[in-house]
Amino acid sequence: MGLTNTPSDLLPGTLELLVLKALLGSARHGYGIVEYLRLSSHDVLRIGESALYPALQRLLLNGSVRAEWGTSENNRRARYYTLTAAGRKQLSAERAEFDRMVGAIQRVLAT
Amino acid sequence: MNTFFRRLRYLLQSSRREAELREEIEAHRAHRQDALERDGLESGEAASASRHALGNITLAVEDARDVWAVRAIDHARQDLRAAVRGLRKSPGFALVAIGTLALGIGANTALFSIFSSLILRPLPVRDPGSLALLTNGSWSYPVWEEIRARETELFDGAFAWSNQGFDLSRSGHSDPVDGAYVSGRLFDLLGVTAIRGRMIMPADDGGAAPDAAVAVISHRLWRQRFAGTRDVVGRQLTVQRVPFTIVGVMPPGFFGPEVGRMTDVMLPFAAEPLIRGQESRLASAGSSWLQIMVRLKPGQSPEQANAALRTVQPQIVETATVSRQRSEPLTLVSAATGRSSLRGRFETPLFAMVVAVGLVLLVACANIASLLLARALARRRELSVRLALGGSRWRIARLLFIESLIVAVTGAGLGLVFASWSSALLVQQLNTWESTVSLDLALDWRVLAFTAVLACLSAITAGVAPVLGLRSITPGEALKDAGRGISGDRRFGVRSTLVVAQIAVSLVLVVAAGLFLRTFTFLNQLPLGFVPEPLLVVELNLQASGGPPGDRGARVERLRDAAAAVPGVRSASVSAERLLTGGGWSSGMVGIGDGPISRIGRPGLWLNATTPGWFETMGMPLRSGRDFEAGDRVGSRPVAIVNEAFVRQYLPDEQPIGQRVRLGFDPLGFDRVRGVGQRTRHEIVGVVGDAVYTSPREGMQATMYVPIAQRKPSEFWETVLLTLNTGRGRRAAMEHDIAAALTRVDPTIAFTFGTFDQLVEATVTQERLIAMLSSFFGGLALLLAAVGLYGVVAHAVRARQTEIGLRMALGADPSSIVRLVFQRVGVLIAAGLAFGLAGSLWAARFVEALLFHLEARDPVTFAGAAAVLAAVGVLAAWMPARRAARLDPATVLREG
Repeated sequence: MGLTNTPSDLLPGTLELLVLKALLGSARHGYGIVEYLRLSSHDVLRIGESALYPALQRLLLNGSVRAEWGTSENNRRARYYTLTAAGRKQLSAERAEFDRMVGAIQRVLAT
Repeated sequence: MNTFFRRLRYLLQSSRREAELREEIEAHRAHRQDALERDGLESGEAASASRHALGNITLAVEDARDVWAVRAIDHARQDLRAAVRGLRKSPGFALVAIGTLALGIGANTALFSIFSSLILRPLPVRDPGSLALLTNGSWSYPVWEEIRARETELFDGAFAWSNQGFDLSRSGHSDPVDGAYVSGRLFDLLGVTAIRGRMIMPADDGGAAPDAAVAVISHRLWRQRFAGTRDVVGRQLTVQRVPFTIVGVMPPGFFGPEVGRMTDVMLPFAAEPLIRGQESRLASAGSSWLQIMVRLKPGQSPEQANAALRTVQPQIVETATVSRQRSEPLTLVSAATGRSSLRGRFETPLFAMVVAVGLVLLVACANIASLLLARALARRRELSVRLALGGSRWRIARLLFIESLIVAVTGAGLGLVFASWSSALLVQQLNTWESTVSLDLALDWRVLAFTAVLACLSAITAGVAPVLGLRSITPGEALKDAGRGISGDRRFGVRSTLVVAQIAVSLVLVVAAGLFLRTFTFLNQLPLGFVPEPLLVVELNLQASGGPPGDRGARVERLRDAAAAVPGVRSASVSAERLLTGGGWSSGMVGIGDGPISRIGRPGLWLNATTPGWFETMGMPLRSGRDFEAGDRVGSRPVAIVNEAFVRQYLPDEQPIGQRVRLGFDPLGFDRVRGVGQRTRHEIVGVVGDAVYTSPREGMQATMYVPIAQRKPSEFWETVLLTLNTGRGRRAAMEHDIAAALTRVDPTIAFTFGTFDQLVEATVTQERLIAMLSSFFGGLALLLAAVGLYGVVAHAVRARQTEIGLRMALGADPSSIVRLVFQRVGVLIAAGLAFGLAGSLWAARFVEALLFHLEARDPVTFAGAAAVLAAVGVLAAWMPARRAARLDPATVLREG
């Protein structure tokens, strides 16, 4: 399945970056984040729960996201995550860092 | 930082957070199920598929939890919980282990508290490090005046004090407190300030104080006698029947310059003549009664101070001392920990006891280690399962370690409680009739650190043992043979060694206890030479009640008559010296007949003065000649009575009656009249049986008695002892009548009741304390060793149950089973005894100084101790052995 969906195969920190990006613009619950990433990557990125929730806990601890309970579109209780100001800052910083890394990797591959 | 606090909060609320996480993941699954249903799956199928996709929820939760829980802390928490659970599952083990440690640590802390407060702790004053004490002994007031005149030239300053027993009563029964005369700068130099009023100051020295006769009292006295009233300053305090004005209260925690003594009332030296009248010792160069301390200049060492002091020593000696006295150089020693008369007496015994109690703790630790090891072995199956399920060896070792740490910490905590209770009890044991020992036993950091270190060491010792035992377990093996072993267990090696060590150390302690107990018994059985049981002693303080010295003889006579007339009093007589105080009135120079008066070695010739009938009252037999008579008065021929020891020492093979004795001074007080060359000749008119003078330990010493009535009236003693024979068992009941009779004839007389029993007891305080403590420690070690041995044997029997069952099934009779068990135990006991005896032989020389009439390697004691230990060991082993012999082979073999 091309690029894989296990966290260890992603570049370190990439999962957090993706989660932050998923939350940019709208609050989402865990399943929502997984679905967003799956759809927007055209079914390439399938994030497992065992990777997602630790990542979310890390982001909560850093203060990059906030969580509160709410009701989902199919009328289920769900925990919604929103980006904090710190999270926004982290997203842009990590995005720049990611671009730098990918650029570097592409340069290596191009040689 | 924020992250840290958030993490901490998450950790503290971990169970709530975990539930939340589970709910969240379940919601996740539900959303997936919804999605699958939307895709056309049937709901049951969707549920299982979603569950399948989700994988292991527990694992997901744990992974997520790991994010906020620092793994180590979380594990520690789990271990702690598991350890507590484990301990609660076997309360017997926990109780024995914690109790053992509490006793061990408690006894150690108690002794160390006393040791610390008596020997190690600095005085609670400003900069105690720069204080120095003038040694060796006491000094006269003129010497002090000479030093005071130079105090700022030689040092930063100097102060002096003299400990006194003060009577606070207004009439009748004495109300004694510990007090002192102090010099004006004492409080200033010690940096002690009043919490009420003011302290004694230099202005008080000259007697020119604004408040005239002033006193300062301790915080304790203020609380006890004055209920802590605010207006205590300005109130009256009667000291030795003289009214004083209280000018201040000392701060709490300040007990005076003397460690072990709570100085409740302090008076300036200028008050001494108010109390002692014409007998004031302020001008006397001959009486040494002061302690002198100095504060060194910043940077000045005691050596420099000594050098400075010695340059002026000739002037001091010339002006202030009696010739030929104090020829040795004046010496200052550091006095950061204050001065203490207790220290010399109790330092060696206390140190011996600290060592003994340390050994007890060793035995206790060995016991704990043994217990924990036994527990680890008993739990082998459980631990093997843990290992087989993938528990890390390190984690299991840590669990065991935490278990022992809990035991140690709880034991130490309880030990502290036990310590504070028992150290107070111990200090009470140091009290005697004459002095109340008061030590500040509040836990200080030293004691606390000491206990903490002990607890940690115990935990490590005890914690390491199970880990050692664990090392040899491999999961499979242990699971296979769980409890079915036939051969003996190799792992008993460690425990056996521990048991041997326990027996050895216990033997050392039991030997010590035996030696000290026998010493104490010997001392108590020593003959006194008189019969103390029916005697009541009344100390009459003639000075405190005023009146010129010349009248005292007649007063004493009146008081004696009054006491003798009380119904029930069989006889009443008076003596000048108190016996059994360890010291007394003595002469270092004796001349017989017309021979030279020559110096005799220590001890000198002991002296006492008595009224007629004293020997009879005391129950001392008259061997030859006569007692003193009414005719022996001032002006008549000076007579003396000597004891048999005197005859043996000075008049062997001679007829003592009629011999004349001359001393280095005149015991009748006429010295100054007759001149040095014309010593009084005392004619021996009687010989009495020997009686103990200083203490039973010193034995019978040469003693000479002179008649009280021949004493020069103006030189009459300040206190005399009225000895009454009231019959056995009636003393306490008669005190009231006697007090009434005394007060009737002399309303102002101050008196104190006592008995010779108390005096005898006081001579063996130290030995009693040592005997008591060492017996306690010996008993404790014995008990612990017995428990240890019992544990080992019981466990061995259990482990070999199958083997024993087999043997019995094959026809072995119970006695051979007992023999089987004992073969092994016998080796342990014998090895322990051998090591113990060797250790005792080696250690015995250190206690030699504390023994009396006993070889340090006393064979009887050694054999006795070994026998006791062997008996206890056999008993401890016999119980499990008997149980083994009663096993039902069929049951054992069936159950494995």
